[in-house]
Amino acid sequence: MAPKLQISRLGKSFGELQALRDINLAIERGEFIAVVGPSGCGKTTFLRIVAGLEPASSGEVELDGRAVKRPGGDRGFVFQTDNLLPWRTVFANAIIGREVAGRVGPAERRRTLELLKLVGLEGFENYHPRQLSGGMRQRVNLARALAIDPQVLLMDEPFSSLDAQTREIMQTELMRIWEAGRKTVLFVTHQIDEAVFLADRVLVFARRPGRLRESVAIELARPRTLAIKRTAEFVRYVDHIWRLIEDDVRASVIEEKV
Amino acid sequence: MSGVERWAVQRAAGSRLGWRIGFPRLYLAGALSVLGGLLLWELASRFVVANALFLAAPSQIFAAIAALAKSGELWQHMSISAIEFAIGYAIASLLGVIIGFAMAESAVMKRVLQPWISGLYATPTIALAPLFILWLGIGIWSKVLVVIFLVLFPVTINTEAGLRTTSERLIEMLRSFGATPRQIFFKVSLPSAVPFILAGLKLGIGRGLIGVVVAELFGSRAGLGRLIAQSADAFNMPDLFAGVIVLAAAGIALTAGFGWLENRLVPWTKD
Repeated sequence: MAPKLQISRLGKSFGELQALRDINLAIERGEFIAVVGPSGCGKTTFLRIVAGLEPASSGEVELDGRAVKRPGGDRGFVFQTDNLLPWRTVFANAIIGREVAGRVGPAERRRTLELLKLVGLEGFENYHPRQLSGGMRQRVNLARALAIDPQVLLMDEPFSSLDAQTREIMQTELMRIWEAGRKTVLFVTHQIDEAVFLADRVLVFARRPGRLRESVAIELARPRTLAIKRTAEFVRYVDHIWRLIEDDVRASVIEEKV
Repeated sequence: MSGVERWAVQRAAGSRLGWRIGFPRLYLAGALSVLGGLLLWELASRFVVANALFLAAPSQIFAAIAALAKSGELWQHMSISAIEFAIGYAIASLLGVIIGFAMAESAVMKRVLQPWISGLYATPTIALAPLFILWLGIGIWSKVLVVIFLVLFPVTINTEAGLRTTSERLIEMLRSFGATPRQIFFKVSLPSAVPFILAGLKLGIGRGLIGVVVAELFGSRAGLGRLIAQSADAFNMPDLFAGVIVLAAAGIALTAGFGWLENRLVPWTKD
């Protein structure tokens, strides 16, 4: 079967700076892919190109065999910051993708309500974002992306602004939601344990220029619970990935100090 | 929904409840401050200044307001000033929002209009009131023009700034769903500019009231400015202060009404 996402010889430059070089990748339907790497490795740029928010400088991204050039309803983007519209209710925020596509009928409303229930926001449909905690706002962010029923879910460090406990809860919640629909997911994070916990495969990026260093298959049984984070197998994966990026991370830390 | 999140929601609800309990006490502090000030004023004008040519006591002022109201004189002055303000304010608001939109949407328009807007905003245009009276006579239209000049610029500048400073992240969020520029304008830029537009309109209230009264001082047949000017000429302090107090009350009422409107229209800016 043809892969869901095919990325070939993808490159991106910002002027002199080469952000991404020669990324080649095939992602199967229903795969959960995590992308990790030091800051400045181009992982977010990579995600934005797949989303169509950023043009590639060379190479291409194909979704179901069609080249991706611009944003579209076949991809749902979950942002690092929740980016909720403060004047809209939770429900009106969640359904905005449908509105943009110009189709808001009873079926869309019903589906959006179901999704809000799935992400644990039943009863909060008429609240405004300012009345919600950070974790709840990220749930709306997720529901908004799912509401357009995308082929691929693109997530850009969605839990990085949450406190450690809320983040762990959101990880298990995401697993539960993903098991319910088995969408193809590209999940960018700087947290190795988060990547190992969630993903079928972890793509480890290197920096200067940003490139794919290794693709690590995570063969941990599903469904996974938080307890898995304390198993020797889990720790081995985390160690392995950490060793892959350690030198790069040190280099980027020193650079940021200068 | 985790326990932590439920707790956060309950806490948010709790703080709103706390606000309701604290509110009457805040009101009380304000009321006491005003009453105390009035009392000091009354005492000062009776025992310290004690000269009816320089200062009127609050009791005399309220008596004057009652007398002016009874004779119908007060309503006449108030209605003239109110009409001048309302016409000028409405024209300036509409024009200001339109010009602000044009400047935000077109770089050329912005280049063309910016020097005039900035220049005229900085100019004390109230000083042009005698000129407007010369052009348009001592009727209401010279005052309307002064109000337009004073209200137009804050509204224009705020509208333009509001549309220009729309959050890039919100725009990008909408773009990720494949939104058109038109959808981005109506679903993000316009609603996020509303608080700015309202702030400009609020600023315009005070400026417009000043415009009406000062223009009336320069020359008019009726209006609160006229009442103040003729009372000053006759050394009638109670009537003079009556005009000032009515004006202040109108300013406070309009601004408070506007605050209420803001709470209804843009509650998300209030936290």
